[in-house]
Amino acid sequence: MIAPAAVMIFLFFLMPVVLTAIFAMTNMTTATGISGGAWQVTQGAINRLKADMPDLAGGIAEPRFVIDEEGLAALEALKLKAGFSTELRASHMGEVFPSRREAERMIKALKDRPSTREVKQISDLFNRSVLNTRFETRDGLMASLKKLGFTLTPAEQETVATATYTGWVWTTENFRIIGNSPDMAQIFLNTAFYVSVTLLLFNVSYALFLAITTHYMPASTASIFRAIWLLPRITPVVIYVLMWKWLTWDSGFISMFMGQFGYPAKNYLLDSAYNAWFFVILINGFIGASMGMLVFSSAIKAIPQTQFHASEVDGASRWQQVRHVILPQLRWPILFVTCYQTLSLLASFNEILLSTRGGPGRATEVWSLAAYHTALNNYTGNLEYGLGAAMALVLVVVGIVLSLIYLRIFRYDTLISKPLIED
Amino acid sequence: MRILLDKFSKSFGSTKVIEDMDLEVGSGEMLALLGPSGCGKSTTLFAVCGIHRPTSGRIMFGDRDVTHLPSQERNVGVVFQSYALYPHMTVEENIGFPLMVKRVASADIRKQVADIAALVHIEDLLGRRPAQLSGGQQQRVALARALIRRPDVLLLDEPLANLDAKLRLEMRSEIRRLQKETGITAILVTHDQVEAMSMCDRIAIMKSGEIIQIATPSQMYNDPRTSFVASFLGNPPISFLKGQAHQGAFVLGGSGLRLPLATLAGIPDGTALSLGVRPEHFGTAGGVPVEGKVVFAETQGRENLYDVVLPDGSVLRSIQPVRDDVKPGDSVRWNLDSASTFVFAEDGQRL
Ligand SMILES: Nc1ncnc2c1ncn2[C@@H]1O[C@H](COP(=O)(O)OP(=O)(O)OP(=O)(O)O)[C@@H](O)[C@H]1O
Ligand SMILES: [Mg+2]
Repeated sequence: MIAPAAVMIFLFFLMPVVLTAIFAMTNMTTATGISGGAWQVTQGAINRLKADMPDLAGGIAEPRFVIDEEGLAALEALKLKAGFSTELRASHMGEVFPSRREAERMIKALKDRPSTREVKQISDLFNRSVLNTRFETRDGLMASLKKLGFTLTPAEQETVATATYTGWVWTTENFRIIGNSPDMAQIFLNTAFYVSVTLLLFNVSYALFLAITTHYMPASTASIFRAIWLLPRITPVVIYVLMWKWLTWDSGFISMFMGQFGYPAKNYLLDSAYNAWFFVILINGFIGASMGMLVFSSAIKAIPQTQFHASEVDGASRWQQVRHVILPQLRWPILFVTCYQTLSLLASFNEILLSTRGGPGRATEVWSLAAYHTALNNYTGNLEYGLGAAMALVLVVVGIVLSLIYLRIFRYDTLISKPLIED
Repeated sequence: MRILLDKFSKSFGSTKVIEDMDLEVGSGEMLALLGPSGCGKSTTLFAVCGIHRPTSGRIMFGDRDVTHLPSQERNVGVVFQSYALYPHMTVEENIGFPLMVKRVASADIRKQVADIAALVHIEDLLGRRPAQLSGGQQQRVALARALIRRPDVLLLDEPLANLDAKLRLEMRSEIRRLQKETGITAILVTHDQVEAMSMCDRIAIMKSGEIIQIATPSQMYNDPRTSFVASFLGNPPISFLKGQAHQGAFVLGGSGLRLPLATLAGIPDGTALSLGVRPEHFGTAGGVPVEGKVVFAETQGRENLYDVVLPDGSVLRSIQPVRDDVKPGDSVRWNLDSASTFVFAEDGQRL
């Protein structure tokens, strides 16, 4: 029986994390693709080479002209004057010209006097520039460079190969980017703010407030309240967020209402970072609070009624009852909700994506949304899978660390009460 | 402090549990509420301490009408049937809770908890949590918590149910001593008649939400108002013979047994009656011989217990000093002390 469970755990729980970790260690993007690459001297590669090998970089970037058999064959196929190819083969075979101007000067001086148009035609045939040529193998590129007159040491070859490789490679660069980029720092702060405020104000405090107040209500009233507070959770997110959008649109309820007092209509959701945060936290808070309320309500229900009776008889006020009887016995549910909600707030971004899309600007861009934008969906079209995966991995690590801290704070060990029998 | 229930009624939704109950507990008195399970003992207790509001009627503490006072303001100590200890607090915190919510200084609380813990012999357990205590220890913690703020009224809902026989005896006298010393007015709920008789000044016997009789233990034993009361008190219990009135005597059909009784004067012949005979009134002493066959014998150490079947099939119980000349199957002719029997009408009322 253990085998299927192990397979399931491996496939559906462990594999995604392992894959994320693997992707995180690469520089995969839309450009590199996720399979192997080729070697190509792109403008980008030349820019990368400029720092280490300025001469070579300059040289490769320039067109090169080589009189070789391949070019002669092409020339003969053009059926121009036969003398051109004969003379080139006889007296210029193997010559290399570092620029078009020099090559054309030589061609112009041929005995058969090619016209200006023919000079251009011929010189094109001998253009052996590697710029933007795609080589399927590393050796192909090296052979070609050699033919062009670049003699490279093995170390130099390596540098060139690395710079011109278009596929993905293993790298830890992603983490350096995450660690050093001010954008990332801002997104991190956004996330910390969003998670802690939503968690503290709504998912825990507000949920506790709801659970405790409904506990003291008559049963029928309480269940009506609970059902109402559960609505955000059971409404499909798209529709729920749409209702908030309707509320905050230029022509929405708030604008209409404020219009009565002479305020101009505006989009309250996106007009300022402050407002955007306000609504993002409300939207998520109401959804999150309903889950906490359910968990806390049932935990309070599980406290034997006589404990409430006893504490009343003992003289405890409502507040003292909440403080000394209810709250201490909710430690485990509070831990659970805090943990669970931290993780789900960290990981889920659909409400934000549907409401502000991280805007205005990137004001409400949180970590998971940024990872999504980086790896799966952005305007530039270059999806950075590697970087996105690294961001996701950071999220996983942060989640685990936070969970451990929570267990510590709530003294998990004391929650498991000691056995009755002693020796 | 005197407790008075005046036409107290309590219903839960449409279920009437208590109807028009009148009950007075004198100041410093300890009263037992005795009755079978589900008769409304706890309900009555909960109304006295303010957990349940009466559906109608009044509850007075002394001259103070507390009917609408919340529990917090009644100064009542309660030991609940299920103890209701706070599982997340230590024994010390549990006992100190009533003082803590009154914001008594913590040094004071500590001292008072130590005193009361010594009184109920749990001074070694103060650091433990309820889950680490036995049932009897939990009960004593509950008792200590009920006593610590010196309540005017002490309510005990079967406080000894979980103790072993020895501890139960000890706690019985302990609770009684505490109650007498402090002069607290107390109500003890129990369905153990021995407990009720040994601990309390008076007993109120309840049946389906009604008090059938209130009296001192000996009055109640010797002068039960109904057959229910008679059957509830006494161990081994009373036995009943079903018969009829005939010319001022109780006649057991089929056996020829005839008991002339003064109480039956003027009762029409043929009235169905039930005769209650306590085991100690059937045996060697007494004036009316009764023949039967022993079907069951049991020794209880100092005494023997016999069940005797009369010719008509009814059973009389007898308790006698230990003897070993009678065995199950033997025919016996023992005496019945007719003056000590009770006659009940068919509806259970004593005649
Ligand atoms: N909250 C309630 N709702 C409805 N019925 C109740 C409620 N509490 C008690 N009852 C009913 O009232 C009756 C008396 O209950 P109560 O708890 O007073 O019995 P009791 O005499 O204490 O019994 P026991 O000796 O078993 O504790 C029972 O029939 C019970 O079912
Ligand atoms: Mg009860």
